[in-house]
Amino acid sequence: MSIRLFAGTSYASIRSMTTPVEISAYPPDGMEVRLIERFTTLKGRRILEIGCGDGRLTFQYAPTAREILAIDPDRLSIEDALDEQAALSVRNVTFRVGSIEHLSTRGAPFDVAIFSWSL
Amino acid sequence: MVHALRRAGQRLRSGGSLISIRPHETQLPLVSIITPSRRIPVTRLPTPGFDDRQSAADAALERVVAEGRFAITGIGNHRYRSVLDNPAQLRTYLELINPPRPRFPPSRRARLLELWRSRHPASKIEIAEWIVMTALRRL
Repeated sequence: MSIRLFAGTSYASIRSMTTPVEISAYPPDGMEVRLIERFTTLKGRRILEIGCGDGRLTFQYAPTAREILAIDPDRLSIEDALDEQAALSVRNVTFRVGSIEHLSTRGAPFDVAIFSWSL
Repeated sequence: MVHALRRAGQRLRSGGSLISIRPHETQLPLVSIITPSRRIPVTRLPTPGFDDRQSAADAALERVVAEGRFAITGIGNHRYRSVLDNPAQLRTYLELINPPRPRFPPSRRARLLELWRSRHPASKIEIAEWIVMTALRRL
């Protein structure tokens, strides 16, 4: 399972039932991407995201990446990600249930690997 | 964890980047009450079992560097803040985190509620968190 504080990113944010304030236990959108890009560019890159959860971070950088493989062992989180992907019509992301330990060593190499709150 | 890093390295091109985003090891989440004129720190929130996981993550990163698989290209610490309207929203915030969750030390939740009851009308609850980002380059 991908984790925030080493726990899954599913249900990372919800809209409060009593107020119109959206509560999120994660950094504000865009912050992590800006920080990552201090070290490496994501634009046009082939990216492997490990511990993607429901795609909270994935969808933030997907518009600039060339291709993304995003994996998480938690099936429900991946189902949430796929629902969101369909809603957003994002075409360059492949979400997959699984862990890095079981990912095939074959295939085209990635430019960037992101351990998203999952190491 | 070290196995995960090695496997990720096998899928990265030479010169590719590996980024680790995780909570800061020593800067624990800080809960404060904020008013228009001041910030009143109430407590930090430890996470049971967190130290062991963080130590293992740090050791794994050091290990793959020592093995000559990666070189460190950068480390950065960053803070972000969430501002909440009331203690109920703080509870929701914490429940959004899958276990293990940060927890109030003994008596500190009561202290927060005590301060909240006597708050300035425009008060909010702030939770500040820190993350550490480590960047490695595959050799």
